[in-house]
Amino acid sequence: MFGIPDPAIWIGYLLALGFTIACLVYGLLNWNNGAEEQRDGS
Amino acid sequence: MAVDTGIFVAITLVYLAATIALGYLGYRQTKESDDYMVAGRKVNPVVLALSYGATFISTSAIVGFGGVAAQLGMGMIWLTVLNIGLGIFIAFVVFGKKTRSIGSRLQAVTFPDLMGKCYGSSFMRYAAGIVIVVSMPLYTAAILIGGAQFITSTLQIPYTTALIAFAAVVALYVVLGGLIAVMYTDALQGGIMLVGMTILLALTYVQLGGVIEAHTALAAMSDLVPEALAAGGMTGWASMPALGSPIWLTLVTTLVLGVGIGVLAQPQLVVRFMTVKDDRSLNRAVLVGGPFILMMTGVAFTVGALTNVYFYRTDGVIALAAATGGNIDTIIPNFINASMPEIFIVIFMLTLLAAAMSTLSSLLHAMGTSLGFDMMRSGSRGASMKRIQVATVVMIVVSVILAFIMPGSIIARATAMFMGLCASAFLPAYAHAVYSSRPSLLAAKLSLVAGAAAWFVWTAFVHVKESEALGLSNLLFGVPAILPMPWQAVDPLVVALPLSIAALAVGLVLDRHEVAVEESAGAA
Repeated sequence: MFGIPDPAIWIGYLLALGFTIACLVYGLLNWNNGAEEQRDGS
Repeated sequence: MAVDTGIFVAITLVYLAATIALGYLGYRQTKESDDYMVAGRKVNPVVLALSYGATFISTSAIVGFGGVAAQLGMGMIWLTVLNIGLGIFIAFVVFGKKTRSIGSRLQAVTFPDLMGKCYGSSFMRYAAGIVIVVSMPLYTAAILIGGAQFITSTLQIPYTTALIAFAAVVALYVVLGGLIAVMYTDALQGGIMLVGMTILLALTYVQLGGVIEAHTALAAMSDLVPEALAAGGMTGWASMPALGSPIWLTLVTTLVLGVGIGVLAQPQLVVRFMTVKDDRSLNRAVLVGGPFILMMTGVAFTVGALTNVYFYRTDGVIALAAATGGNIDTIIPNFINASMPEIFIVIFMLTLLAAAMSTLSSLLHAMGTSLGFDMMRSGSRGASMKRIQVATVVMIVVSVILAFIMPGSIIARATAMFMGLCASAFLPAYAHAVYSSRPSLLAAKLSLVAGAAAWFVWTAFVHVKESEALGLSNLLFGVPAILPMPWQAVDPLVVALPLSIAALAVGLVLDRHEVAVEESAGAA
């Protein structure tokens, strides 16, 4: 994959990209969660 | 690097003017000690993410570790996996939120202060402060040396002048503007780094004919691995070293695990979680932080490995042979100098300068607050800003002196050593502090002392890359390391962190046993 024959390397690249996407998705899904007012109100 | 010095000086002056302006803004916004130490707990999430990332990534992470990737290949990508997975996601979501809420509740303003207040113990505060004040100057000196060497070679000015000027500019805004100035300037520097690394990746692939072609060409070079590296287990630049070989152990234990895990308990990073007002800011920072780190270490390691293809095509040699004087730190600069347009060379120089300044400023701030607030505090809670500023100046002077006297052989190891020590000494006790409603002081003390001691013993007597340079093993036992291979290649963190965790567990059991005995005595 990606022109890299060794799975131990391309899995590393997939995981690096996967964690980056996880950060993006997490940030978007929780964009408005955990606000100070919300926390105080709960 | 061969570039028009005039253009670089002009762009650097614009950059320095912007840095000083942001430093001045920080100075104007700093009214009290909380502003100075935790930026008033109201930092913008994008500023937090860029500041965290820019502090995390030093020049050595780009040039030094990029050079390691040129030498050992793409296996370094596993460090990027940990950098993003642990260094951003777990750090912000698992540790960051707890640290922020506890820090806010206990009004903690530094990492040692947080540890001291969580455990209700001045021992924990002093112990954390001592580790910082003693070990951080070594890491800081390494950053100073790297920055000064880079300025010397770029601007052709004497090394001493470069080192003192570099320290003085950063010191100016750290001492006067505190953490607000540090984080504002970090954000600018992080932005510059992002632009520089993005262009570097794009131009490298364009230069080598595209993503797949570049990787395929690299994979086809495996028969060019030098004999010495092949004997150590290296199989190529697009494949992992042979499992369990000395190079595999160095790659996996020192570079991937040592640096990857070490980032979780670095005091200058932990304090940033306490600079935002709510969890929403941390959630938003994760969105920026993940891609930022991918574009830093992911690009540095990929481009580092691919320099082999470039040098082989143009000069018929591998990257290692293209390194000036055999120094792998020169591979990335040599590649950029040889292959990139002049305007990008200037941008990349600025990227390196920004990376060095952002890491340096955060270290100076962490050392200054540890000495001036945690170590020199009298009984009252009140923090004197003046005292912290004086302490920061003292730590800067110590770091500059160290930078002048530290041996070259230990410098390259300083980043991994500092991160390994932080994780071994602090990580279990820090995790226990933020995740336990009644953390055990005995367990924390045992963990901190066992982790730090085990790390020191393994560093000074077994891990040959450090023990040889430190010379203690040779002095006492007449050998550079007291254990044979493969132990000499196993990073201190891999031994010290499990011991530190085990010591925490023993402490917890002892504490529970004590409580049980007291309860049964009370019942009787």
